[in-house]
Amino acid sequence: MTIRLNTESLTESFMATPEPDSQPVISVEGVSKKFCRDLRRSLFYGVRDIAADLTGGRPHSDRLRPQEFWALKDISFQLHRGQAVGLVGSNGAGKSTLLRIISGLIKPDTGRVRVRGRLAPLIALGAGFNPILTGRENIYANMSILGLTTQQIKQRFHEVVEFAEIEDAIDAPVQTYSSGMAARLGFACAIYTEPNILLIDEVLAVGDARFKAKCYRRLYELRQRGVAFILVNHNSQAILNICDQAIYLTRGALVTQGEVNAVVDHYERDLFLNSIERSENRMVFPPKAAAESNGIDFRDLFFRDGDGQLTQTLSTGEPVSLCATCEAHDSYSGVALDLRIAKVGGIESAGYVLSLRGQNDDTFFHLSPGLAEIRLQLPYLGLVPGVYSAQIRLRKDAVYTFDVVESFRFTVTSRQNVNKCQFYQPHSWALVPVVTPVSARQPLP
Amino acid sequence: MPPEFVYTPDSLLRRPRFLLWTMWRDLLASRELAWRLMVRDISAQYRQAALGIAWAFIPPVAMAVGFTLAKDANVFTVGETDIPYPAFVMFNTALWQTFVDAATGPVQAVIIAKPMLARVNFPREAIILAKLGEVGFNFGIKLILIVGLFLFFRVPVSWTVILAPVALIHLVLLGTLVGILLAPIGVLYQDVSKSLNMIMGFWLFLTPVIYPVPTEGAFGMLVSLNPVAPLLVTTRELATTGVLTEAVSFWVVSGLTLLGLLLTWIGFRIAMPYVVERVTS
Repeated sequence: MTIRLNTESLTESFMATPEPDSQPVISVEGVSKKFCRDLRRSLFYGVRDIAADLTGGRPHSDRLRPQEFWALKDISFQLHRGQAVGLVGSNGAGKSTLLRIISGLIKPDTGRVRVRGRLAPLIALGAGFNPILTGRENIYANMSILGLTTQQIKQRFHEVVEFAEIEDAIDAPVQTYSSGMAARLGFACAIYTEPNILLIDEVLAVGDARFKAKCYRRLYELRQRGVAFILVNHNSQAILNICDQAIYLTRGALVTQGEVNAVVDHYERDLFLNSIERSENRMVFPPKAAAESNGIDFRDLFFRDGDGQLTQTLSTGEPVSLCATCEAHDSYSGVALDLRIAKVGGIESAGYVLSLRGQNDDTFFHLSPGLAEIRLQLPYLGLVPGVYSAQIRLRKDAVYTFDVVESFRFTVTSRQNVNKCQFYQPHSWALVPVVTPVSARQPLP
Repeated sequence: MPPEFVYTPDSLLRRPRFLLWTMWRDLLASRELAWRLMVRDISAQYRQAALGIAWAFIPPVAMAVGFTLAKDANVFTVGETDIPYPAFVMFNTALWQTFVDAATGPVQAVIIAKPMLARVNFPREAIILAKLGEVGFNFGIKLILIVGLFLFFRVPVSWTVILAPVALIHLVLLGTLVGILLAPIGVLYQDVSKSLNMIMGFWLFLTPVIYPVPTEGAFGMLVSLNPVAPLLVTTRELATTGVLTEAVSFWVVSGLTLLGLLLTWIGFRIAMPYVVERVTS
């Protein structure tokens, strides 16, 4: 377990810590940081801080000056070897600031940060890339910025090129690369610095789906080898997949920290108004005023069984319908539902296991003002047992989004044994008596 | 045992021994990175220029041609110079340019490296060292011009020429001192880089580059207060006549430069985290 809550009981911490050497690789103790939104004043404070530091220290660095605010306030947590913690929170919550303090780029205003081991920031994809130099030259420059010696870079050079899949373009200037190629190169450079701690800030969005899956696999390998992670991502699915712990920040303050599912739940509850009701395999949303709405809103997401009855248990292989109760504020035609389902946890979770889009099936609905239920009927549920997270969108003509639910989480169980495979295939067995043996030479009818 | 780092709000000046130790450690650690950055910058510098390395020669030659023509036309008069005037101007310009490179280099380099500084915690000394290496490289190219010049004008060379690099290094270090002093502020306020060109133009006017050292009047007084003058003049004299006219001021300025460089380096280290925090948030 990555984080030991201050309030958590000792037994739980002991049970949760697999490593006997319990020295944390990162320990953050009461860290605060203040910023100023007014540029001129901010620069002036900067000069004043420098002057104060040069004359022996800043008194009252724990007090706000005019127009300052706390970008981080009294944050504490610990990170142990081989553990991954996700930072969640809306924009401006202080996630990146926290990462920058941990990497030693900026000084905390109060508190203290201890870091043991080599730390690689994946905040800095392609730091120091010069567009008119070749990929080869840039690998050397970039990796030495990340702290490797020439000898070490030489050893890893081929792996980096191979991982980034740019063998053909390695001697071409980076400005001729596509954005995906440059991003892949940056990611490969960073990931091959062999750090003890990785700070990842919103960078897993590079490249195509296949490369993304490869990045996740590599991160998974690193974690098996004991690398500790701090991951910042707006997408809670990515956090759920990679991290076992999470920290939720709001406006610089720590709201909660602990087991990842609980923290992400808390975050999402706050994010989508406070009144969303989440129960087992169901989400209920409060009504929105017409002014706040984009036209149609989700009000309820749930499942119905084969008889059309509301159900909270999903079983592999059974008929089921995903139902979305929607409230329209006007008449709309061309409304379609998009659904993407990803499995939560584990290495195979890098992509979506299922993606169903109304527009691909040419299924568009006409909604009149009021409530309506859109049903997605599945004759057999093909998902194997596990926890899934669905992103559900209500769209019009594939361009306009009425409403979106980022993460509708549900659990699938099974009455049969389908554990060792990736999907459920509806099937039946039969034994058929053969009257005349089929000869191989005989042409098929 | 993996390395351990501790970040606190306290001023590093309260732990002077730790501060000096980390400065030494980072200086050693930044050698290889500095070399990489220098290779990167030098290769990029000439790759997108059609005239390539000729850009190292063009400014001093242009200066020399301009001033020689002006002098021949009696637009202005200068005193007697130890060596032929075109050679005098060209050599001095090369030295002056090297000083300007050393002074403006760190400011520009730190500004260009802003995105890097904001994201990766690498030894910041590497940027300065890389720039110093680049200054040395560019001077090396100018040296080809100077050797050609000396041969062409049959400038007599004294044995003291082997000492000239020492004086040149002091000149570069003085420039670096100015550069490191301005770099952190230069990132925060654009005024620094905007005014730097103007200041350098005015400073050139106060430095015996196109004229020999004046001895009289208020102007002579001003020039004698200019710390660049003794270093530049001594470098030239060591390379040519071998007769030093400003030996005392040379050593005074050199001593102050070395002491000042250590102090500005400490200031630079302390200032950089605050600068990084203000430029990107």
